[in-house]
Amino acid sequence: MQRRSFLRGIGLAAAATAVVKPSLVLAAEAPKGANAMALDAAVKAITGGKAVVASPKVKLKAPEIAENGAVVPVTVEVDSPMTESDYVKAIHVFATKNSNVRCADVMLTPANGVAMFATRIKLGSSQEVMALVETSKGEFLSASQSVKVTIGGCG
Amino acid sequence: MAGRKALIKIKPKKYKTGDVVKVSFMVMHPMDTGLRKDKKTGEVIPAHYINDVKFLFNDKPITVMKTWESLSTNPVFTINFKVPCEGELKVIAKDNKGEVIEKSKKIKPKG
Repeated sequence: MQRRSFLRGIGLAAAATAVVKPSLVLAAEAPKGANAMALDAAVKAITGGKAVVASPKVKLKAPEIAENGAVVPVTVEVDSPMTESDYVKAIHVFATKNSNVRCADVMLTPANGVAMFATRIKLGSSQEVMALVETSKGEFLSASQSVKVTIGGCG
Repeated sequence: MAGRKALIKIKPKKYKTGDVVKVSFMVMHPMDTGLRKDKKTGEVIPAHYINDVKFLFNDKPITVMKTWESLSTNPVFTINFKVPCEGELKVIAKDNKGEVIEKSKKIKPKG
């Protein structure tokens, strides 16, 4: 009698496990490495294969822990004179693990006076946010910030 | 044209010629990623997001943006602007469905 009920217990447990599915679906699941490949392709398209230098001139501000993945504040500031001969041409913001890694391409001009772009982005999971900066002198600079997300922002 | 609420904010409110001010453009927009499903029908909600934002001063582009669905709902776009003279700041935003949202604000430096 005891053995029968014991086996039934195991059977029920197995059935329950089989039925239980992961209930939290964040951004659409991409095959492994697809995001990394998409990021590389996007960066290459922008830089033409030229070297990107991580630079302290690029200040990327994003929270280390995001309370809400749907509204993550991101600010990129670049130390640049913003004169006709030396200015930031573009700031590209990437969410490295989102199903679409592109967030924004911001083309600035000397009329901005100070190189800065701020917005709020959705992050589907904990990931690195990256800023890729293009200067009028043809340099490519970057900065990254790791953001931990407790509640995913895409679903 | 759908009257989407949008506004331009300048900080600080009082500025002089040559000052660098913060310009924020905010617009009510769902910024749907195309990944969500309608909870009632189970249908995928199609992607609907702002993909183009242009800031112009006296009709001359000063900042142009290409944006994607990863931006938050009711997005905000903040940049700096060095005030050269009096004039009009205009923001034109477009979304992937072809809708256009336009907003203007007078730039009036005091001194």
